[in-house]
Amino acid sequence: MTSVEELPAWSEPFATDRRERLARLPALDSIDRTWAWGGSTGGGVSIAIIDSGLEANHPEVKGRVVETLAVRLGGERATVEPDDMGDLFGHGTACASIIVGMAPEVDLVSIRVLGSDLKGKGEAFAEAMEYAIHRPVHVANLSLSSKSEALFPLFHQLADEAYFSDVVLVSAANNVAGPSYPSLFSSVISVAAHADADPWRFYYNPSPPVEFGAWGVDVPVAWRDGGHTIATGNSFAAPHITALVALILAKHPGLTPFEVKAVLAAVANNPREAALAG
Amino acid sequence: MPMEPTPDSTDSILHAALLTIREAARRGLVASRFQPDAEERLLQSIVDATVRLFEAEAASIALFEHNPDRLEFRVASGPHGSGAVGMTVAPTDGIAGYVFSTGEALALSDVASDPRFDRAAAERTGYVPRSIAAVPLISDGETGGVLQVLDKRSAPSFTMRDMELLAVFASQAGIAIAATRVQRDLPTLLAAALRAVEPSLDQAALEALLHAAATDLDPVAEAPFWRLVDEVARLRGLGANELELVGDILQVVAEHRSHRGRGRYR
Repeated sequence: MTSVEELPAWSEPFATDRRERLARLPALDSIDRTWAWGGSTGGGVSIAIIDSGLEANHPEVKGRVVETLAVRLGGERATVEPDDMGDLFGHGTACASIIVGMAPEVDLVSIRVLGSDLKGKGEAFAEAMEYAIHRPVHVANLSLSSKSEALFPLFHQLADEAYFSDVVLVSAANNVAGPSYPSLFSSVISVAAHADADPWRFYYNPSPPVEFGAWGVDVPVAWRDGGHTIATGNSFAAPHITALVALILAKHPGLTPFEVKAVLAAVANNPREAALAG
Repeated sequence: MPMEPTPDSTDSILHAALLTIREAARRGLVASRFQPDAEERLLQSIVDATVRLFEAEAASIALFEHNPDRLEFRVASGPHGSGAVGMTVAPTDGIAGYVFSTGEALALSDVASDPRFDRAAAERTGYVPRSIAAVPLISDGETGGVLQVLDKRSAPSFTMRDMELLAVFASQAGIAIAATRVQRDLPTLLAAALRAVEPSLDQAALEALLHAAATDLDPVAEAPFWRLVDEVARLRGLGANELELVGDILQVVAEHRSHRGRGRYR
């Protein structure tokens, strides 16, 4: 029987006298939606909306917006600062309305990374992710991905940093072949769209790179200037998963991104008969 | 006019490179005379095909241009498309602006029912759509423009399959557009070629060489050579027998000239 003093440091958690601390998730086949998020409203969970901004007084998100920020480029270093430009396009507000509709007590932190002042948008996007990881937030909803191969190392490093800091990154998949970072990384929760009009219906896909499918076709959403529209795209599927992640974390604080992904997979609407037939 | 050769070996390497580049430039200009507006016709064929494929009321392509930064609607198709051509929007405006800025595809339906929605931009085109799908034109990781489709006649909104087809179409277009732009942009091509030959060239030297290379290649001038190129371009539609006749005539002229001009400099 080994004790902690006889093992190198990384093996320490597995020493016989330490193993009770590993009690975390119940067995996967005993995880259902009641365990995962039953009764949860997302209270206490902070979500970064990294997008076109956020219309804080829109009726769909009113009362939930904690901070509205934007990336500032142009100095020696990029910074993230308070911003009152609202939502440049409406897209950030649309995503936020989906999230608040399912998790009504979350806290929203908007980081605007789009705009005429942010032409080097890859760098702005990276800066926003860095800010979200260190602030920290619990979850970041990423509707866009960088198409630049040159920024692969930077985004890979940020995705790892988020993963190991217990910040869950939910990233909309991109339909076009080619670089798409961080949505293509294994450490993020990547989401594509299905057409079933049910915000609670989602699927886990074991064939990468897109691991989850959520409602993303003809989704009623908020839009800018207090408006509404009906929207289609992978970037409207991601917020549905972001909301579920928020509900899970509000009920089970401290879960790691890996555990969150496992819980999602366990309660997804995947057909189960095939798995049992094994 | 030929440049005077110099005794310095670096200069003579540059001189040889310069003559080669002049020849490439000349051929490039001839090619562009043969295919004027190649980019425009390519874009038009894409929006025409888009309208047919989706049975849509309109489709348009906007390309990003600098100074000032803007999205310019270059071509349109469909019974309600023409109002968009020539329109300019800021790259931070509306659906096209979002798709251009993020490189992400997007579709909205039920657009017309919300009175605040993008009304001003739509009204400038003379047509307010019910539904819009927009995808980025991407090549080499850069978004160069946006392809938009309005109002699929057979359905109130665009499906994910529609978006995927549109995106495949758009990625081909993005690559092709980038290719025609490089060929057309002669100064950029020459600068790239000169830098490849001599990477240590500073900006002043580069500009001096570019100026020397482009001298008397001005395609705007009514030089006989360019008039001839234009005439030959017009012959492209001829049948095989007529082209053979033209070839024979040119050969006679060339041989007559070489008899007369033997020993004389051009």
